[in-house]
Amino acid sequence: MEFKLRKAEARDVADILRLVKELAKYENMEHQVELTERELLEDGFGETPCYHCVIAEVNDVQVVGFAMYYLTYDPWVGKQLYLEEFYVMAEYRGLGIGSEVLRYLSDLAMKLRCTGIMFVVAENNEPSMQFYKRRGAEDLSEGEGWRLFRFDKDSLVKMAAPSEE
Amino acid sequence: MMLCVIMTYFSVGRGRITARIYLLQYGVHADPDSRIRMNFRLRDSTVDDCKDIARMLMELAEYEKVTDLVKIGQKDLEQDGFSNTPFFRGVIAEVPEDQKSKDGHVKVGYALYFFSYSSWKGRCVYLEDLYVMPEFRGKGIGKALMSKVAQLGLEVGCTQMNFIVLNWNKSSLEFYTRQGCIDITEKLGYHWMSCGENALKKLANSDPVDES
Repeated sequence: MEFKLRKAEARDVADILRLVKELAKYENMEHQVELTERELLEDGFGETPCYHCVIAEVNDVQVVGFAMYYLTYDPWVGKQLYLEEFYVMAEYRGLGIGSEVLRYLSDLAMKLRCTGIMFVVAENNEPSMQFYKRRGAEDLSEGEGWRLFRFDKDSLVKMAAPSEE
Repeated sequence: MMLCVIMTYFSVGRGRITARIYLLQYGVHADPDSRIRMNFRLRDSTVDDCKDIARMLMELAEYEKVTDLVKIGQKDLEQDGFSNTPFFRGVIAEVPEDQKSKDGHVKVGYALYFFSYSSWKGRCVYLEDLYVMPEFRGKGIGKALMSKVAQLGLEVGCTQMNFIVLNWNKSSLEFYTRQGCIDITEKLGYHWMSCGENALKKLANSDPVDES
């Protein structure tokens, strides 16, 4: 089966959200997805996009996979490409789409003079862990002890409040 | 009254009134141990701050015991942070001249951040670096920097602030937990992963998979 990769367009937001929800369901986190099509449209296809996507398509019409990414910065080594989301529908796996997406992103990262690609993987997601490790990814949580911390909305609002003197 | 006194000081000290007063945030914090009042202010970083950011960045790398990993310097920060397409933003913490560091610095802390995106929640802010020089710690500067980045994130619609911490940095882990942070690595099992330069080159040059 032939597939092709292309940059996402505004018309793809419905498919992007569908695939985001499918991946979240795969991780038993579907209830956590609060993003809407409208937000995806405004945030991805306005004047200053917050994110970019590459789409995998078969038969020129069917969107079967995607990767969401944006550029970040490490002040020790410079620009990085952050891979926020990467998913291929179950029935289209094993065709090389995942490998090709990663090759596309790596090529793009190098053209943009990034020195690495960063991302997170759930430790119990063995297939993904092996996919990335086979391709040279390092687990910095295991290897160096890095832990991802997060302020969610409520604690962010509290943190933003001026402290009492 | 106190606010007027501080603003006058800064105006006279600089010989001019800064046009970006609306961005300045003055903090006066009492040090309960020494009873010395620590004046500091926070402001958006400018290209002129890159020398001090580079200096303090190296101090942070020394604290984390990884100075050999720092590959970029002042000029890279100037280009990457202050051109038409900035890849990061900064907040600087400054003290008055009479409270400068023992080495003569008035820029005593910084936070570097950028805007990121969650496929589940939308706009986020990522706190990349937060550092206060050791002799200025315990005065509320670190918390004020973090608070400022949180404010800036909320202003543009962010609903999360993310960052990474080393597991041996116990005092930081405790500080962030006290502020209401969630340890995503512990709670959800998310591991922080990287494909570095060598892996990147191999991936970019890899042959397409044979689909036949």
